[in-house]
Amino acid sequence: MPPLDAIAAAIRTVLHDTGRDAKAISPEMLLAADLGLDSLDLAQTIVLLERSLGVDPFRSAPAAAPRPAIRTVSDLVSIYSSALNSPRPHTP
Amino acid sequence: MTTAANATTIAHLADAPAEDRLASAIALVARQFPDRTAIVANAGGEARRVIDYATLTAAIMKLEGELAAARPVGIVARAKRVESLVVIAAACGREHVPVAFLAEDARDLVGELRDWVPLDDSLVLPAAAAAGPRREFETVPPQVVVATSGTSGPPKLVDHSWDSLLAAARLAEQWHGRGWLLVYDATRWAGLQVWLQAMLTAGRLVVPASRDPDLVAKACVDEDVSILPATPTLLRRLIASGDRAVVSTMKLDRITLGGEATDAQLLEQAKQLFPNAKITHVYATTELGEVFRVTDSQAGFPIEWIGRPLPGGVRLSMRRDGELLVQLSRDTAEVATGDLVERRGKRFEFTGRRSDVIVVGGAKVFPKRVEEILRGVPGIADARVYGLPSAITGELVAAEIVIHEPLPAGTTPDQVRAASLAVCRERLEAHGVPRVVDVVKKLTLTAAGKIPRR
Repeated sequence: MPPLDAIAAAIRTVLHDTGRDAKAISPEMLLAADLGLDSLDLAQTIVLLERSLGVDPFRSAPAAAPRPAIRTVSDLVSIYSSALNSPRPHTP
Repeated sequence: MTTAANATTIAHLADAPAEDRLASAIALVARQFPDRTAIVANAGGEARRVIDYATLTAAIMKLEGELAAARPVGIVARAKRVESLVVIAAACGREHVPVAFLAEDARDLVGELRDWVPLDDSLVLPAAAAAGPRREFETVPPQVVVATSGTSGPPKLVDHSWDSLLAAARLAEQWHGRGWLLVYDATRWAGLQVWLQAMLTAGRLVVPASRDPDLVAKACVDEDVSILPATPTLLRRLIASGDRAVVSTMKLDRITLGGEATDAQLLEQAKQLFPNAKITHVYATTELGEVFRVTDSQAGFPIEWIGRPLPGGVRLSMRRDGELLVQLSRDTAEVATGDLVERRGKRFEFTGRRSDVIVVGGAKVFPKRVEEILRGVPGIADARVYGLPSAITGELVAAEIVIHEPLPAGTTPDQVRAASLAVCRERLEAHGVPRVVDVVKKLTLTAAGKIPRR
């Protein structure tokens, strides 16, 4: 699945699971302001994406590496795209 | 037992040195009732095996002879079959040879037992044992080494005396000749307690071929089990997923829960399903042995138990953060148990182990509490709540749920899952609501029959 589709599906599941209306999701949307996602929602999104895409770029990043700002849906798309294109680090 | 004479003799076992009791008890039954069943292994399965008391005692005497000749510094029981473990324990006790029982996850610790000799189901000492270091016969009673379950932290070896190992065994006549179910790992503290108790009292030990709830229920009925020692998790699985038609014909008159905290909901279900069973909750750890037992079929223990000595000299107290502290006797140090308790009315109830607490964005979540809420949702048979690591919030609450089968017509597992989330949102703070909920056929359990929290 292309990252954008997977990310949109994950966010819709998060909204649905938390009793909120799922909406159409587009890349320029702000995660917090437009979609109302908080840190718990983001954490859930990342777990769901690890299941659908098989990577967790946040866990496999070295602790010292600066974490890129995640403000929009497209920020997530670029993080996951580069994680999917880089050699897969071994995760236990 | 059928004769009063026997009952008296078994009761008098307590006068014998602890390390002799197991072999003596088995020999006693073998003399009078050689064909009596001691162990039914693989009960409910294809390869069902029956071992009688005469066979058991013959194997013990043979091994005693080998141990007497080789005098190994210690024996590591590597056997898989319960009957072999019984034979090894009895013969080692009789011959004053230290013995170690290492569960699968503690096998690496064998390095700590230098020069000890492994013994498998063949019950034949390896040739190297005769050539290895020999142990002089000592008058000091030998120890029994058992590994902790590793529920909280890596397994470690704990030294016990035969006296402490058998301290909780009940030898009175009401316990004689009963059918005991062994669902625990036979090499762990809880499992040892069950088979030792059964073999000390002319009992029939029934070992089911698997932990599948249908098979366990059938083994209990077919093999006439009357005493069921289990963790709350295993009992819940039996009640929630076992074939109801079979479960309801189980003739239990005693259920002994241990290993984990139990809750009012489970006790209530057990009372309804097994109205004739006395339900006891044993609080014990591998390090401390049995500390106390609660027999009033209610969750937790009475508030009066904190701060005053219990019969036997045990003293319970509580840290400010709710952790239960145990002092076994005046001469021993107070031990922090890692178990958290909370006052609810006239009881202290267990809220979970300190190490079970899930920390979500700095806020604490007690998984047992979330499980209790999930199990109360219509359509949910059982639930497990655990922590998932998260780079964003540290951990995230996750759950597995088992759906009742069959569901009422028109209800789908997805609807039950959605309803469970709605109930959690209503009753828990945002960080306590499970963020990952998987519908599963059966819950993930540890080898010890407990709920893993990570």
